[in-house]
Amino acid sequence: MFKIPWRIAIQNLLKISNFLFFLFVSTTALGGDKIAGEKRFNKTCINCHGPAGKGVASYPKISGNEIAYTTAKLEAYRSGIKQGPNSSLMIMFAKPLSDEEIANLAAYLKEAKYNN
Amino acid sequence: MFKLRSKLLPVVMAFTIALGFSFNAVGDGHKGMKVPSIKSSVLMSGLDGPWDMGFLADGTMFFTEKCKGLSVRTKGGNVHKLYGMKGSKGYADSANDLFCSGQAGMLGVVADINFDKNRALYVYSTSTKYYGSGCKTNFEKCDGNIVMRFNVSKDLKSVSNRTDIVKDIQYKPFESNQPFGGPGAHNGGRLRVGPGGFLWVTGGDRHRGICPQDGSLLCGKVLRIDGDGKAHPGNNPPAGFDKRIYTYGHRNVQGIDFRPSDGRAFTAEHGPWHNDEITGLINGGNAGWDPAEKRAGRGACPDKYCGYEPNQKKGMDPAIRAAYTPMSDTRFSDLMPAAWNNNGFSQGTGSAAFLRGSNWGVYEGRLAVGIMGIGFGNTPPGKRIDLISITPDGLGINGIVRMPLGFNERFRGLVMGPDNALYVAVDAGKIYKVTAKLLN
Repeated sequence: MFKIPWRIAIQNLLKISNFLFFLFVSTTALGGDKIAGEKRFNKTCINCHGPAGKGVASYPKISGNEIAYTTAKLEAYRSGIKQGPNSSLMIMFAKPLSDEEIANLAAYLKEAKYNN
Repeated sequence: MFKLRSKLLPVVMAFTIALGFSFNAVGDGHKGMKVPSIKSSVLMSGLDGPWDMGFLADGTMFFTEKCKGLSVRTKGGNVHKLYGMKGSKGYADSANDLFCSGQAGMLGVVADINFDKNRALYVYSTSTKYYGSGCKTNFEKCDGNIVMRFNVSKDLKSVSNRTDIVKDIQYKPFESNQPFGGPGAHNGGRLRVGPGGFLWVTGGDRHRGICPQDGSLLCGKVLRIDGDGKAHPGNNPPAGFDKRIYTYGHRNVQGIDFRPSDGRAFTAEHGPWHNDEITGLINGGNAGWDPAEKRAGRGACPDKYCGYEPNQKKGMDPAIRAAYTPMSDTRFSDLMPAAWNNNGFSQGTGSAAFLRGSNWGVYEGRLAVGIMGIGFGNTPPGKRIDLISITPDGLGINGIVRMPLGFNERFRGLVMGPDNALYVAVDAGKIYKVTAKLLN
């Protein structure tokens, strides 16, 4: 019977787990889940920022920004840090957001487009 | 015989049931209810913050875009850009003093009642022209909102002879320590022509506590003026007030229209996290909003404005806020009580228009009220148009139903067209045409 040396087996397992970890990180923590992000956006954010975050009335456009930018903004609001005139509102809305929700929102908003 | 009877039975039963239903329909008055079929279609899209529309009798529609300027859509569907704001491109003419910031910009538009003869059009906008030295802080007069009169060319391709008929409506120049604290807050801005052809101008408190109850300032007021900006001779504000004032004590009035049955003005007004209000106006009356600090048992407030207190930075029961700084404060003996207060919620009432025309059936004469929808705390966003039946005395409602549109938007501007259709501007950049038709 053909035997796989145990060292090679462990190395392969490590490679597979590394790959799976990278896949997980790239689709959640770094890129986020766009579909989940859209769902979360439509729950509350859309009421002020308009469809696809295009910006309406006195509320700014929030689509088209880099993931890192949106993530940093939301994390700052969540921490209670003031960033502009409507900060009190954003702090209230950002407080309950989880890391995963912020990642998802950032991923969705990066490419969200409104065809008016 | 048995077989024939068994075949006939279902037919007879079906016929009997159908007959029964038709008798019932007549018997309960259902056929006489005149319920209209309501449909909507997109008239214009790709706009940038459309805010208001004003119609001519032939269907020509003037419209404003808050940060762009004034345009017209002809009855044939052509669009001409007439008067742009600072930085706008493609307009026949423009002015560098007109600008937008936050909630402020080019807002209301309406044509003169004698437009066919004088070609006069009125437009509300933010302007730096009359700032003078009064805009160095948020606690000065700062005349930054104006009403302009234009003459429109016969080919509808240009406007001329701009005359600023109101130059002294206050504006908020700087950020303050409030939830919606940016510059340009609470301008009102709706223009409508009322009975007799006079111009009505709605205002907002511009986040200055003393505005609504101060009779020398036009912020937080509804004005009734003529086409030159002069006071209607019948205005009856309290002694010492500016005579252009029809009513005072307002927070942010973005909706006004006149009840077809008696011509009485009704306003739609934003509430501060509580109590959006529909109010029947009384000449010289007080809408009851007084957000000044150190009044009504209150102490000091952030930036001298108690409009979001107490505890303005956290969600709380709207009823507690309503008791602390009421939209309609009953300590005023000249208070105009609201007909409706959105069940204690604030969801952002935008504009309002009475439905005119028999095509609206049972809804004819109801006030259509656009709700923009902002959900704070546990308040549902509520983006919708309500159809409200107001009692004859204007102090309550008979009933309220939601307009069956099948979609949600931030409904900003509502106005009836000459074709008895309702035209609706939404913040996302569209103008809808909503029609009603009786089917029987």
